[in-house]
Amino acid sequence: MEFLSSLFPSPESSFPLLAVILGLPALGALFNGVFGKRLGNDGVRLMALATVFGSFLGAVATFLLLHHAGAAHEHHVRFVWNAWRWLALDTTNIEVTFSVDNLSSVMLLVVTGVGFLIHVYATGYMKEDPSFHRFFAYMNLFIFAMLILVLGDSLPIMFVGWEGVGLCSYLLIGFWFEDSKNAAAGSKAFIANRIGDFGLLVAMAMILHHVGTLSWHGMDAQAGQLLTNVQLWPIGGGLPSWMPAFLLKPRTVDAATLVGLMLMLGCAGKSAQIPLYVWLPDAMAGPTPVSALIHAATMVTAGVYLVARMNFVFMLSPTAMMVVAGVGALTALFAATIGLVQNDIKKVLAYSTVSQLGFMFMGVGVGAFASGIFHLVTHAFFKAALFLCAGCVIHAMHARVHDTDASQDMRNMGGLRKHMPRTFFAYTAATLAIAGFPLTAGFFSKDEILFRGLVNRIEPSAALKQLVGRSAPKGLNHEQLQGLISSLTTPSWFHKAVFIIGLVAAVLTAFYMFRSWFLTFFGDFRGWRIVPGWKDTGHGHDEHEHEHEHEHGHGHEHEHEHGHEHEHGHEQETKHKKDGPVPHEAPDSMTWPVVILAVLALFAGFVNAGSIHLTPWFEHWLSPVFEGSAKMLATVQTGEALHKVEYGAMAGGTLAFLIGAGAAWWVYRAKGGEPARRAADAAPGLHRLVLDKWRIDELYEATVIGFLDSLADTSAWVDKWIVDGIIAKLTSALVALAGSVLRLVQNGKVQAYGAVMVAGLASVGAFFVLPHGKVVVNVDPKSGNYVLHAPPGIGYHYRWDVDGDDKWDGGDSWTLRAVSDVRPANAPGPGESRTYRVEVRNAFGLTKLELVTLTRPKVDKSSPERAMNDKGVAP
Amino acid sequence: MNATLGAMIDLWPAILAGAVGALVPRKPSTWQRAGIGVIAALLVLFVMKLWPDAAVAAAPSAPSGEWPHLLTFLIGLPLAGAILMLFMPRQSPGLLRAMTMGILLVDLVASLWLLTVPMGVGWHFVSVHDWIPALGIRWHVAVDGMSLWLVLLTTFITPIAAYVSFGSIGTRIKDLCFSLLLLQAAMLGVFLSLDMFLFYVFWELALVPMYVMIGVWGSADKIKAALKFFLYTMGGSVLLLAALLYLVHTYSKLTGTMSFDYLALNKVLLPKHVQMMCFWGFAIAFFVKVPLFPLHTWLPDAHVQAPTGGSIILAAILLKMGTYAYMRFGMGLFPFAAGLQSATLAGVAVFGGILYGALCSWKQDDLKRLVAYSSVAHLGYVMLGLFAGTQASMQGSLLQQINHGVSTGALFLLVGVIYDRRHTRTITEFGGLAKVMPVYTVVFVIITMASIGVPGTNGFVGEFMVIMGTYGSLRLGKFGGVDAVLAAAGVILAAIYMLSVVQRVFFGPLKNPKNRDLPDLNVRETLALAPLVIMVFVIGLFPSVLLSRSAAAVSAFEMRNRLVWMSAQELGEGEPKLVTQDMLLEGASGSAREGMANTLDEMDRGAPVIPPPPAADKPAADKKEASK
Repeated sequence: MEFLSSLFPSPESSFPLLAVILGLPALGALFNGVFGKRLGNDGVRLMALATVFGSFLGAVATFLLLHHAGAAHEHHVRFVWNAWRWLALDTTNIEVTFSVDNLSSVMLLVVTGVGFLIHVYATGYMKEDPSFHRFFAYMNLFIFAMLILVLGDSLPIMFVGWEGVGLCSYLLIGFWFEDSKNAAAGSKAFIANRIGDFGLLVAMAMILHHVGTLSWHGMDAQAGQLLTNVQLWPIGGGLPSWMPAFLLKPRTVDAATLVGLMLMLGCAGKSAQIPLYVWLPDAMAGPTPVSALIHAATMVTAGVYLVARMNFVFMLSPTAMMVVAGVGALTALFAATIGLVQNDIKKVLAYSTVSQLGFMFMGVGVGAFASGIFHLVTHAFFKAALFLCAGCVIHAMHARVHDTDASQDMRNMGGLRKHMPRTFFAYTAATLAIAGFPLTAGFFSKDEILFRGLVNRIEPSAALKQLVGRSAPKGLNHEQLQGLISSLTTPSWFHKAVFIIGLVAAVLTAFYMFRSWFLTFFGDFRGWRIVPGWKDTGHGHDEHEHEHEHEHGHGHEHEHEHGHEHEHGHEQETKHKKDGPVPHEAPDSMTWPVVILAVLALFAGFVNAGSIHLTPWFEHWLSPVFEGSAKMLATVQTGEALHKVEYGAMAGGTLAFLIGAGAAWWVYRAKGGEPARRAADAAPGLHRLVLDKWRIDELYEATVIGFLDSLADTSAWVDKWIVDGIIAKLTSALVALAGSVLRLVQNGKVQAYGAVMVAGLASVGAFFVLPHGKVVVNVDPKSGNYVLHAPPGIGYHYRWDVDGDDKWDGGDSWTLRAVSDVRPANAPGPGESRTYRVEVRNAFGLTKLELVTLTRPKVDKSSPERAMNDKGVAP
Repeated sequence: MNATLGAMIDLWPAILAGAVGALVPRKPSTWQRAGIGVIAALLVLFVMKLWPDAAVAAAPSAPSGEWPHLLTFLIGLPLAGAILMLFMPRQSPGLLRAMTMGILLVDLVASLWLLTVPMGVGWHFVSVHDWIPALGIRWHVAVDGMSLWLVLLTTFITPIAAYVSFGSIGTRIKDLCFSLLLLQAAMLGVFLSLDMFLFYVFWELALVPMYVMIGVWGSADKIKAALKFFLYTMGGSVLLLAALLYLVHTYSKLTGTMSFDYLALNKVLLPKHVQMMCFWGFAIAFFVKVPLFPLHTWLPDAHVQAPTGGSIILAAILLKMGTYAYMRFGMGLFPFAAGLQSATLAGVAVFGGILYGALCSWKQDDLKRLVAYSSVAHLGYVMLGLFAGTQASMQGSLLQQINHGVSTGALFLLVGVIYDRRHTRTITEFGGLAKVMPVYTVVFVIITMASIGVPGTNGFVGEFMVIMGTYGSLRLGKFGGVDAVLAAAGVILAAIYMLSVVQRVFFGPLKNPKNRDLPDLNVRETLALAPLVIMVFVIGLFPSVLLSRSAAAVSAFEMRNRLVWMSAQELGEGEPKLVTQDMLLEGASGSAREGMANTLDEMDRGAPVIPPPPAADKPAADKKEASK
C-alpha cells in the first residue's frame, strides 16, 4: 500500500496509472487486430487475456489507493490523469482527461473483473472459430471503449467511450456477418443507440450553452444555472394570430428538465429501455460471451451509470426523475411479461436483462443512486453467470444440433443437471440471486430498490422554487404558488405505483427464471436420444453452427452437399429424434469463470447489507459522489419507522420470490408444463401476441420506420423530378424553346428578312413623322411657380394656354417656346384643379394637343416640400 | 553519432509508427511495407511537429523567415508544369506520370513550409505585384489561418487522386496530367488569391480541367454530366461577376481609384438593399459550388460520371472552393447581409442539406450517387456552421471541410476500387464482400465510421463543434436551438444510410458468383488509402493540431464581421461609404479598443493604399486657388 502510494505522490493532479489501465486493452486490440492472424490463436489468447488482466490489476490498485486516500480525506476524492487538449470551444476547453472517483472505481472493477472472466470463458467458447483474432480484437477494443466511458472526466470524453462501445457492440453482434440476420441486428443496435446519442448530443449542447462547461465537477458546481426557462413553443419568432388559442400560448420548461429528458433518451438507447429497447433481444445474434459481457454486464448498464453520474442535473428536475423511474418501472414489468413465454434461452435472458435494467432505472430514478449502482454490480455477476451458463448449454447442444435457433430452444433441452454439474450449480446460484432468494446478492440489491422506491421523495430545491415563482402565471396568491411548488415533489401515488409495479415484476422475474431453470436442467433430455458412446460419423463433431456456415464458402460443391445434409438433419430433428452422445460439460476454461461469477452472485450482497443490520459499506463508499443530491432527498418516515417499512419491503420481496418460484415449480415441475399449455390454449391470441414480443417491432416498422422510409422515397423522388426537374430540366427546356422560336425567324430566306426590314423602317419612320407632346411638370424652387416642359424636337412649334381663359395665350401664333410658367394668379387654389393646354406642331405640319391638369392638395398651407411633390396630373 | 542517436530518441513515436506501419501488410511486399511505414512515420512526425504546445513555444520567432514568393511558387509550379506538359512526348506515359507526381509532391513538400510560421491573426507569405494597374488589378496572394488548411488539403489530396488515376486510367495520359496540374494550380489560386479579379480567374479556370476530366474519362453519360456541371457553376459565376463589378464601381466612386482587392472592397459599406443584392450575387455563385439545396443536383450526376480521381478532387477540394469563398468573401464583404439572411439560410442548410440530403442518400442504389448525396448532407453541417457564425461553429465548419475532404475523398477512392474490379456500382450487385476482400472491408468500415461521425474519428469533432456552436448562436436567434437539435438528428440518418450500404455490400452471404474471386486491395490502392485512414484518426484524436492554427484568424474574422455589422446597421439605407477603423471601434475604449485596432491592422496587412478622398471641399478649393 505504502509502495503504491509512493508511486503516485499526487494522484489528484496526475495519476498515470489510468493511462496504463486504458492503454493495455487498446494495445491488445491493435495487436490482435493487425497482427492476430500471424500471432496464431495462442498468441492472441495471451495478448487478450494479459492486457485485460493487467487492466484489472490496475483497477484493483486504483481502488486500494482510492480507499486509502478516501479514508484520509473523508471527501469526494478524484484521481485525475490529463492526456492532451482535445479541442477548444468559445467558452471552455475540452481536455482528454480521465478521472476515477468512488463511483467510477466500482465500475472500473466490474468492467475489468467481469470482463476478464468473460475473456477467459471466450477463449474456450470461440476456440474453433476461424476469426478468433478478430473476435478478441473487438473484445479488447470494447474493454478499451468501456473504460473510456467509465473513466472519462467530461461528458464529451465519456461520449467517445459511449459511442465506442456502441461500435464494438455493432461489430460483435454482426460478428458472424455471413448471416444477413446477424448483420441486420448489428445495424439495428447501432441505429437505436444513435437515436439515444442524438439525445446526448442535444443535452451536451444545452449544458454547454447554459452552464458553460462539460466536465463532471464543473457541471456539478454550476448545475444550478440549468434552472432557467427555455421556450419550447413557439419555435423561433411569433405566431400568426389565426391559430387556435391553445397554440398561441407560449410554452416554456426549465432547462434542467429538458437536459434530464435528453440524457434519459441517451440512456434509454444504450440501456435498452422503453421505447428503444427493441435492439437488445436481437443483439443476442452475437456470440454468447458478447451477450454476457456487452449486453448484460457492462455496456447496457452505462445508462444507469450516466444517470448516477449526472445526478446533480436530474435532482434539479423532479419531472425528469419521475420519467426515469417511470420508464424503468414500466420497462421492468413489460420486458418481464415477454420473458414469461419465450422459448429461446438467450431471449429469456435478454428480456430479463431489459427488465433488470428497468429495476436499476427505478432505483436511480427515485434518488437511490447507490442502490441502482449496487444492483448494476450484482446484476453484472448473476446475469453474466446466466449468459455464460447458457453458452455452456448451447455449446453442449451443438454436439448434435447445428441450427442456431434450435440449439438455443429450451424445448430441446431438459435434464442437463446430471450431465453438466458445474453449469447447473452456477445457473442455480445465479437464478436464486436474480429471483431474490434471501441473502443472495440480488435479494439485497432488488429489495433496496423497492424499499427506496417506496419511501424516497425528491424535494424541489430552493432555486427551483424560485424559478417556479418567477415563471408562474401572474395573479397567483401565495397558497396557489405553494401548491404549484409542492406539485413538483414527486407525488406519493407515484411511489406506491413504482413499488407495486416493481413487486409484480419481481414475481414475474422469479417465475420466468425458474421456468428456464426447470426447462433446461430438469426432466428428460429432449434434444436427441442419448446413446452412450455414440460417435458422429456424418460430418464430424461440429461445435458451432457458424463454423458450419464458414465451411459453406469453401467451394460450390461442398456447400451444396452440406446444405442438403443440413436440411435433411433438420427434418429428422423435428420429426423423430435422432441419436446423439451424452451431453458434455464445457471445458474448464469455460466453467471456472462461471463458477466464480456464481459465487459472487451468491455472496456479493453482503457488502451492502444495511437491511439486516450489517454495515452498508457499499452505500458509504458511494456517498461522497451523491452528497449534493442527498440533501434534496427526503424519506416519508425516519428512524425506527423507516426500518419497519424496510422490513415490510423485504418481506414483500421474499414473498415475490416465493410466489414466482413456487408457481414455476408447480407449472413446470409438478405438472410438467401442462398448465402453461392450457393457459396458452385458453387465450391463443394473447399468447401469440406476447410470444411475438407484443409486436412492438412490427409497430415501429409500420409507424416510425415506415414513415421515415416513405419520407426518404419521397425525397429521392422530389429530388429527381421536382428539384432537378425545375432547376435543370425546366430551365433547359425553356432555353430550348426560346431557341426553337427564334430559329423560326432565322430561316435564311431573304424575302422574310426584307419584309422584317421594311416593317422596322416603317415603324421608325412613323415615329419621326408623328409629333410627340408629353408634358412634364416641375416646380421652380425659387418662385414656387409651376413650370411646364413640352418635349423639344427639330422643327417643333408650340402654342400655350396657361392663363386659364380657354384661348391661346399669344393669339393663335406658334412659338418656339417649349417651356411655360404658370403664374401664381393662374395656379389652382388649395383643393382646386385646373386644366392647361399646349399644342405641338412639327415640321410636317402635324399637330397634337396635350391637356395638363394640376391639382393642389387642400390642407397645404405654405409647405414648399408639399408643393415640390405636387407634380400635377397629366390627363 | 550521439546527435543521430539523440534525434532518434526524440523522434521515437515516428520511428515506432513507421515500424508498426511497415509490419501491417500480411503478404510480403516490400514496396507496400516501405510505403505504409514511411507514410505512417511521416504523419506521426507531422503531428509531433505541430503539437500545439510546441507551436506556442515557437511563437516568438519573427515572421521574417517567410519567403515572399512561396505562394507564387505553389501556384506557379503546377501551372508551369502544365504548360511544360504540352511539350512532352505523348508516347512515354511513364515519364509524364513521373513528372506529374514529382511536381505534385514538390508542391506538397513546399506547402508544408506554411506550417513553420505561427499563424495568428492576419496574412502571411504576402506577395503583391501589379498586374493591370489601370484597373487596380494586382497579383495579391496570401495565406492566413482560414485558408491554411484548405491549401494543405489541396496539396495533400491531389497527389493521392493523381496516383489513383494513374492506376485506373490508361488512355490520354498526357491530357490527364495536364488537367491535373492545371486543376491543382487553379484550386490553390482560389484559396490563396486576395484580389477578387485574380480569384475570379482561378475560380473559372478550375472549371475547365474538371470539365475535361469528366467529359473525357467519365462513364456512359459523361458529356451531359460535364455540361451540367459547367453550366451550373457558370450560371452562378455570372451573378458573382456582376455583383463584383458593382462593388468595384462603388469603390472607385468613393475613393477615385480602382481596386479589385478584397482588402479594399471590404471597406465599402453599401446601403442595405444594395448590399443584399450583391450578397445574393456572390452567395448563389458559391452555393452552387458547395452545393446547397436546391442547387445541388449537378453534384450526383457529375460524381457518377466522373472517373475516380476526378470524383476525389471534386468532392474533397472543389466543393470546398464554394464553402471557403462563402466564408471569406460572402461573409467577409457583406457581413450585414449575410447576417440578416443567416437564419433563413441555416434552415435551408439543415432541412435541405443535413436532413434532405441524408434521406435522398438512403434511397440511392448507385454507390457513388449515395456518397454524393452524403456530401450534400455533410456540407449542410459545414454551411450551418458558417451561417451560425459563432467562433466554435465556424471553427467546426473549417474542420468539417477538411474532414469531408479526407473521409469523402477516401469513400470515393474506395468506390473506385470496387468499380475497377466489377465495372458496376449498383449496390444490389454486391453482398458478402467481407469474405473475399477483408482488408478492403476494414478500411471501408473505418471510413464509414468517420463519415457518420463516431467519436475518435475526424467526422465527430467537426459535427460536434458545429452543433455546439449553433445552439447558442446569436445570429440565428431563437432558431439556434432548433437548428442544433435538427442537425443532431442528422447523425441518426447518417448512421441509417451508411450502415445500410455497408450491410448490403459487405455482409450477408456471398450470393453473386461474379464477386467470388475479387482480389483485395492492391499495393497502389493501399498506399493511396493509408494516408487518408491515418488522417482520419489524427484529426479525430488531435484536432487541436489543426484548430490551434486557425483559431486566432477565425475569431478575428468573427470580430470584424460583428463590428461591420454594427456600422452597417447604423448606415441602413443611407449613401454607400467607406468604413474606417474609427467607425468600427466607435463603442470600444481603452485597452480593448487598442487590441481590436491591432487585430484590424493585422487583418489589413497588404491592403492597397486608399488615396485621400477627392470629393471633399478642401481639395477642391485648393485646386481653384492653384488655377488662379
